[in-house]
Amino acid sequence: MKRQKRLTLLGDILGCIFGILIFATPFIFMLLNALKERREANLLELSLPKEFMWSNFAEVFEANDYLIVTAFKNSIILTVGAVVVLIVVGSMAGYVLQRRNDRTTKAVSTLVMTGLMIPPAILPTIWVMQGLHIYKTMFGMILVEAALQIPFTIMLYRGFMNTIPVELEEAGYIDGCTRGKMFVQIVFPLLKPVTSTIIILNAVTIFNDFTNPLYFLPGTDNSTVQLTLYNFMGRYSSSYNLLFADVLIITIPMLILFLIFNQKIVDGMVAGAVKG
Amino acid sequence: MKRKLVSVLLCAAMVGATLAGATTVFAEEEAATEEAAAEETTDEAAAEEEAAEETTEEAAEEEASDEGGEKEWEYKEAELTFLIDPDTPSQGYQAVFDLCEEKTGIHIETEIRASGGEGDNIVKTRLASGDMADLCGYNSGAKLGELNPEENFIDISGEEWASRLNDMWRQAANGGNEGAIYGIPYASTMSSAILYNKDIYEEYGLEVPHTWDDFLANCQTLQDAGEVAMIGSIGDSWTIQCTYLGDHYNVLAENPNFAEEFEAGTAKYATTPAGVESFQKLADLQPFFNEDYTATTYADACDMLVNGDGAHYVILTQALSSIYDLYGDDVNKIGLFGIPGNDPENHGLTVWTPTGIYGNAKSDKKEDILRFMEFYTSDEALDAFTEAQKPDGPYCIEGYELPEDAYDAAKDAQAYFDEGKISLALEFQTSVKGTNCEYICSEVATGQTTAEEAAAAYDDDCKKQATQLGLDWE
Amino acid sequence: MNKKKIYTNWFLVPAVAIFVIFFIVPMVTSLFFSLTVWDLQTFTFCGFDNYVTFFGERSLNISVVNTLIYAVLTSGLKVIFAFFIALFLTSKIKTKTFIRSLVFFPNLVSAVAVGIIWKALMHPSKGLINTLLAVIGIDGPNWLGDTSIALFSVIFVDVWKGVSISTVIFIAGITSIDSSYYEAASIDGATRWQTIRHIVMPLVRSSTNTIITLSLIGGLRCFDLIWAMTKGGPGFATDVLASVVYKQYAAGFYGLSTAGNVIMFALIAIIAFPLTKFLNSREVYN
Repeated sequence: MKRQKRLTLLGDILGCIFGILIFATPFIFMLLNALKERREANLLELSLPKEFMWSNFAEVFEANDYLIVTAFKNSIILTVGAVVVLIVVGSMAGYVLQRRNDRTTKAVSTLVMTGLMIPPAILPTIWVMQGLHIYKTMFGMILVEAALQIPFTIMLYRGFMNTIPVELEEAGYIDGCTRGKMFVQIVFPLLKPVTSTIIILNAVTIFNDFTNPLYFLPGTDNSTVQLTLYNFMGRYSSSYNLLFADVLIITIPMLILFLIFNQKIVDGMVAGAVKG
Repeated sequence: MKRKLVSVLLCAAMVGATLAGATTVFAEEEAATEEAAAEETTDEAAAEEEAAEETTEEAAEEEASDEGGEKEWEYKEAELTFLIDPDTPSQGYQAVFDLCEEKTGIHIETEIRASGGEGDNIVKTRLASGDMADLCGYNSGAKLGELNPEENFIDISGEEWASRLNDMWRQAANGGNEGAIYGIPYASTMSSAILYNKDIYEEYGLEVPHTWDDFLANCQTLQDAGEVAMIGSIGDSWTIQCTYLGDHYNVLAENPNFAEEFEAGTAKYATTPAGVESFQKLADLQPFFNEDYTATTYADACDMLVNGDGAHYVILTQALSSIYDLYGDDVNKIGLFGIPGNDPENHGLTVWTPTGIYGNAKSDKKEDILRFMEFYTSDEALDAFTEAQKPDGPYCIEGYELPEDAYDAAKDAQAYFDEGKISLALEFQTSVKGTNCEYICSEVATGQTTAEEAAAAYDDDCKKQATQLGLDWE
Repeated sequence: MNKKKIYTNWFLVPAVAIFVIFFIVPMVTSLFFSLTVWDLQTFTFCGFDNYVTFFGERSLNISVVNTLIYAVLTSGLKVIFAFFIALFLTSKIKTKTFIRSLVFFPNLVSAVAVGIIWKALMHPSKGLINTLLAVIGIDGPNWLGDTSIALFSVIFVDVWKGVSISTVIFIAGITSIDSSYYEAASIDGATRWQTIRHIVMPLVRSSTNTIITLSLIGGLRCFDLIWAMTKGGPGFATDVLASVVYKQYAAGFYGLSTAGNVIMFALIAIIAFPLTKFLNSREVYN
């Protein structure tokens, strides 16, 4: 038993060392260099700054007339909007798809699962959006992001529904619940764990998405944080201090989200919930 | 069965309804955003104006003191609108606008549009709908030709003051109609040339080379002495094409009609010896590049050049301003020469003409537009411009000397202008440009392909553009 | 109870509507637009010219090979690393939450940002990696500039960034294994390795399959990281299908770009559908 304990301790220590070395060093490196003066940062050394330049963060904020503030607003609207849409439509669909098993649901399942495999057709999507007059609008962008994540979201909800017994719904049926009430009051609260997983995974994907806003939401006023970073990369290609400061700033929202949902990520994926 | 059909129909109806709803909602939102955007632009313009005002006041004062015999301008209040993209630096033109208002009474209201392909579309749409501002800022050269200038813009070739515009500008601003001039240059020219560190040249007793072989010999000397002879910056891959682009003078030296024949599909790089040489030059440079040239960025390269960590850098002369912003007068450590060819007697420079300012032919303020243009091209205006924004090369105005405090390298470029050894870059002569140019160039510069292969690849690449433009290249 | 009444298909409508309008309709119309010269406003029909041009594209061969290497290696490596990390994190160690957070952390950062960080770390002359290698006397390679290893450098970073999701899926799979299996194994005197080999590995097969499918498809579609780190360069050395398609789009060749996208569908469909079929059949067998 003692040996076992020592072994676990060794595992703890080694695990932490390797974890920090492989996964944390790049970020520590980035944080240190974000606080250096330009020339010092460009040496790309892993060392404490000679002088802590907190002003770098201010400079990033001020760049391009506070563009980053607009970008934050856009990214947050986009992320929250798309995640809300996904939770609403995804949970409804996942619920019915798991509970019912007939030709319609099978067809829908197949259709949606194709979306997991096939890459989106970008330019025709722009064409469709132009037809609907929602190209270059936040609303259009939210729906596109939602459409792209719908398959994955439905897959998680449907999988999680497996673990929820039907008895409650039967009881609700006997009590005369309407179907809307049944879903909202009985089923949806039970989906909380997987909803947490969905929130964090989708939020991270959408907030960090660079490609789709690049295509569907062009224009300076519409910039999302990732696009700002990309443009910043061109303009300040040799001011690593500012680049890193920018990266740190735009990672904060996801970090907060992660701290909130950290424990729940695994819970939502229990027992075969994820099935291709 | 019936029920199913009904549900399908209902379903379809609902989707339709959602869509219709979405459309109306979004039409409104779009309008709202546009409004907001418009507001923002004016705000911005106002802020810019304010900032610029300060600089010009100073400039104006100075001028008043040292130039007594200035031309008297007719003063008549008027207002013109000016549409420009956000990437064009505003300090220079804003300084001139402010001076213009003071001297001629013409107030210019700047409106910022999108840049890139989106901006091109805005300009085209607004021209087509008759909604163009009085003054339109847009590329000179081949891209101007796409705007149908003979209908849309005022031809200024008949104006007396237009005689000041040099041949190069006349070529770039004629929109394909020999003899016409549709606008004035917004700033100085720039060129793609070899920038070199003069301290290093002095240290090793090197002379400015006039043939490519002499140039390579210089590089060899420097390399043997342990210096970095060439700075490469594929970390920003667009920079690597400057060698190919800047060599256009030498291609034209061999075949003066190359651009027209290339657009027509009859001349090819792969079959034009000077064309292959343009790519060969990249291959020649490979052994001289700094060790980490695949990761070096444009800004790193500017640092290296001014600090003497590298002797030569082939780049657009806008790099001079980048260096000036960071290093001030050290920029004068840098000299310039054109990319040499084979004939020492014919060593020229490939030049980029600036954005043009074109007068809207449908505007009812034609007279004010012409008054403004005359002012903009006057010595006085150029001085104000230079004061606010240093030129990256000579102006397209005949008889205007670069001021004493211009960059040394820009003065070097002036010598080529004075001798008439200049040509427009290919992109001003034809709209056909290979979109993979930078990647093809970096393939050669990293030794993955030969110059012949690259030339052929570039010809192929251009074919796609030709197809899109509707040119028949078979 | 009446299933049809409670679980009404109306609940499917919003999801299906969004998905059909913004995914299926564009997918189907792309087949048409790939046959045109198109600038989003007007199009001229040009038959299969775009496909001919696309297949004639010099960088296409490189990009198809690169895409396959990228997809296979990233998904393979993610499965292997994630499995062992997950095993480790489901053992009795105390710091598992901390380590799991560490592993998950890169996933919070966008591909563009990750590209910036690793480009700096992999800088040939002053990057941290080569500086460290120099300390132990190794002359580090030019990670992203040397055409023979650039792709593998990006693959490494992709695995580094993406291994966390796979790990989480594995952790979920492993924790859901009924403890009676382990008890039975320990009664039979199975070694740790035997338990892993004969109990854990077969029982997490469905997780494995999910990971393989998701990351293989992710790999075939990858764009962000490649674009952020190499832009397909030097030259065309690290081009993948998605980056070639993007370049055509950026150049304004919309018909051509769409044709490239259709080719990408086809390639992914040819690989993904049989693969999921095969993996699912094995799952049932076990």
